[in-house]
Amino acid sequence: MTSIGTGYDLSNSVFSPDGRNFQVEYAVKAVENGGTSIGIRCKDGVVLAVEKVISSKLLKAGANKRIATVDRHIGAVSSGLVPDGRHFVSHARDEAANWRSVYKTPITVKDLASRMGGYLQAYTLYSSVRPFGITAIVGGWDSELELPVDGQVGSGPISGAGGKVEGKTYGGPGLYMIEPSGMYWGYYGAATGKGRQTAKAELEKLDLAAGKLSLEDGVKEAARIIYVAHADNKDKEFELEMTWISNLDGPTKGRHEEVPKDILEEAERLAKKHLEGEEDDEETKDDDKDKMEE
Amino acid sequence: MNHLPQAWGRPRDDVYGAYDSSYLQNGGPTQHTQRPIVTGTSVVALKFKDGVVIAADNLASYGSLARFTDVKRLRKFAETSVVGFGGDVSDMQYLDRLLNSLDIQEAYGSSGHTLNAQNLHTYLSKVLYKRRSDFNPLWNQLLVAGLDGESKPFLAAADLLGTTFSSPSLATGYGAHLAQPLLRNVAPDEEAASKLSLEQALEAVKESMKVLFYRDARSMDKYSIAVITKDGIDLKENEQLEKQSWAFADQIRGYGTQVN
Amino acid sequence: MFRNNYDNDSVTFSPQGRIFQVEYASEAVKQGSVVVGIVSKTHAVLVALKRNAEELSSYQKKIIAIDEHLGLSLAGLASDARVLSNFMKQQSLSSRLTYGRAIPLSRLVNSIGDRAQTNTQHYGKRPYGVGLLVAGVDETGPHLFEFQPSGMTQEMVACAIGARSQMARTYLERNLEKFVDCGREELVVHGLKALKESLAQDKELTVENCSVGVVGIRGEGMKAIEGFKLFDGQNVKQWVDMVAEGTEEAAEEESMEVDS
Repeated sequence: MTSIGTGYDLSNSVFSPDGRNFQVEYAVKAVENGGTSIGIRCKDGVVLAVEKVISSKLLKAGANKRIATVDRHIGAVSSGLVPDGRHFVSHARDEAANWRSVYKTPITVKDLASRMGGYLQAYTLYSSVRPFGITAIVGGWDSELELPVDGQVGSGPISGAGGKVEGKTYGGPGLYMIEPSGMYWGYYGAATGKGRQTAKAELEKLDLAAGKLSLEDGVKEAARIIYVAHADNKDKEFELEMTWISNLDGPTKGRHEEVPKDILEEAERLAKKHLEGEEDDEETKDDDKDKMEE
Repeated sequence: MNHLPQAWGRPRDDVYGAYDSSYLQNGGPTQHTQRPIVTGTSVVALKFKDGVVIAADNLASYGSLARFTDVKRLRKFAETSVVGFGGDVSDMQYLDRLLNSLDIQEAYGSSGHTLNAQNLHTYLSKVLYKRRSDFNPLWNQLLVAGLDGESKPFLAAADLLGTTFSSPSLATGYGAHLAQPLLRNVAPDEEAASKLSLEQALEAVKESMKVLFYRDARSMDKYSIAVITKDGIDLKENEQLEKQSWAFADQIRGYGTQVN
Repeated sequence: MFRNNYDNDSVTFSPQGRIFQVEYASEAVKQGSVVVGIVSKTHAVLVALKRNAEELSSYQKKIIAIDEHLGLSLAGLASDARVLSNFMKQQSLSSRLTYGRAIPLSRLVNSIGDRAQTNTQHYGKRPYGVGLLVAGVDETGPHLFEFQPSGMTQEMVACAIGARSQMARTYLERNLEKFVDCGREELVVHGLKALKESLAQDKELTVENCSVGVVGIRGEGMKAIEGFKLFDGQNVKQWVDMVAEGTEEAAEEESMEVDS
């Protein structure tokens, strides 16, 4: 922040002498104050979760969803300025619908991330706009099967659409995180918002790259990680919101849906239990080492 | 030499005389769709006490040619409604995609709300009327079947002119002439329809499909049939007309292989 | 005076990631007189304190009916509220025209939220300087939403915005559990009591300065709704009296004559 006051940070699209766009960096600051969002790419699906800090007792519990469905098979969540998040989702829906109308097939998660990365990047180019004050996590499941073309009314050619290499698998889970700069990467586990450091540390422990975590366990891990990440911010109450997308044989049949209440509650129960366990650990660490070994 | 772009690649005026450019103009106003090309025939539907039964055969004709024999003309919307399409098949596909995108928009734009069959019918009739007012009609006759805002059976028609109509039983195309009277026999009014059982409704609709197959040269014996109730949609897309009897045709000139 | 460099427009982030112009716009909401909204299982009510610019001028309108099933109350720049409410009326009407359906509240509120967000991201625009409480019913029951200049919209059980509204919010928080099962009359009285908490010391609730908006459901579905109704002047007397608890009768008698 040494360049504050030099004037290079007052307008978007302006480089400082050392090649930085400060307005984008400030937008990242807005993200860092927002509730934690995470996404986990499991072997048979994707989980999205967000910590919603309750700013007022007067808010209707369970309403005010923060994870949105972009297309049937894709969900998006963001940390940072909530209205910017809505703008993001609204444009993502347009992109997904537009893709369908051009290609007659659902957009892949990768393509959506690319389109949205481009869109966010455009908001760093001009002094007439400001960058998005959000980092968004986009997760979804690209169908592993040959899908009917949108608007298809007959069975189509027996050979299918073609262009497929034999023995190769297509489709699968997709998870991407898009930053205010427009930069995006694919992730096994993504985290952003206030508790991202803690969440990232937890995600790294899961060895997601091995591709062994099931969606069912992913849900539990996601809940736990949000609870752990929230522990640094304990004085404020929060609500956990979680959605998932499974493969076509799984519980959501390739669709992005809210995690059912019973599964969510069970995951929250385990998460709370885990936290209590951790607290006990800390207390017992010094005075009772034997107990821990039991 | 004339170097103007409009003269490029054309015979020289000084050698061949003034260029006759009349063929470049189509000599009339802009024309949109004048007729349907690949078509589906009748759709029939009947309300009963818990919902609606709707059916259409799986044929798409190219003129008198039975061109496509596996075309599904009953399209689901949001697992709550079914739209049956008669008329142009490519316009049906356009509408199907339109409804697909509407479904996504509605399902995720606001949680807990969906469009019921009545809303859907209103929407479709506006689309059709807009297009006909642009002199660019979507060449279809539609039946929309499902439940209305009070979860009562809903059935209504809309066509390429934007005309709408509602009745306890409906049929489009040839069916309007041949099936409609048969359906009215079982359900002359709303009250009668509200007393019909699913079995009675299914029987009446299947009977109508059979009569249509006997008499409509642009029909076939493979068809789709859907039952819409508050429990959802039961859509079967590969049904075969059963218990056909062609005995009556023996005596009629023009049926089957008879030539005169 | 220290000059903040980052507050000249709404397209500049401060080094802390704040947008001062948007925060300043929220201050405009606090300049407006207080409005309160509460929902129960069956009803949503809006209660507002009206102000007049001078003795002889009329009172500023605080509650606007949007459609049969919803209305809003405003705090802040009334002209911005008019722009937004006109837009909402259009959206609402368009939903009725194209789908034959009362627009779901969340969808309508999101649409103005999205509009407001645009104003915070593009140069040459300014954020709206008004906060809204939108109350209404749709297929999923009664709802209350808060809209802020940032484009933030939230569904609330009860809410108060405007000058000194913290006092009203404290009252609402204290009585939060009671609201769910309240009937329409009780809900209005709670609203007025909350309003009263926020009054300046020398002020009283009178028939001139109170507005009440009520909307609710009578039974299942959208057919049986108690449409949004605005109460002003003598029509709020019954409720004002209940809350006043025997304050000067004289003042109210006088007001009767003024009104008639």
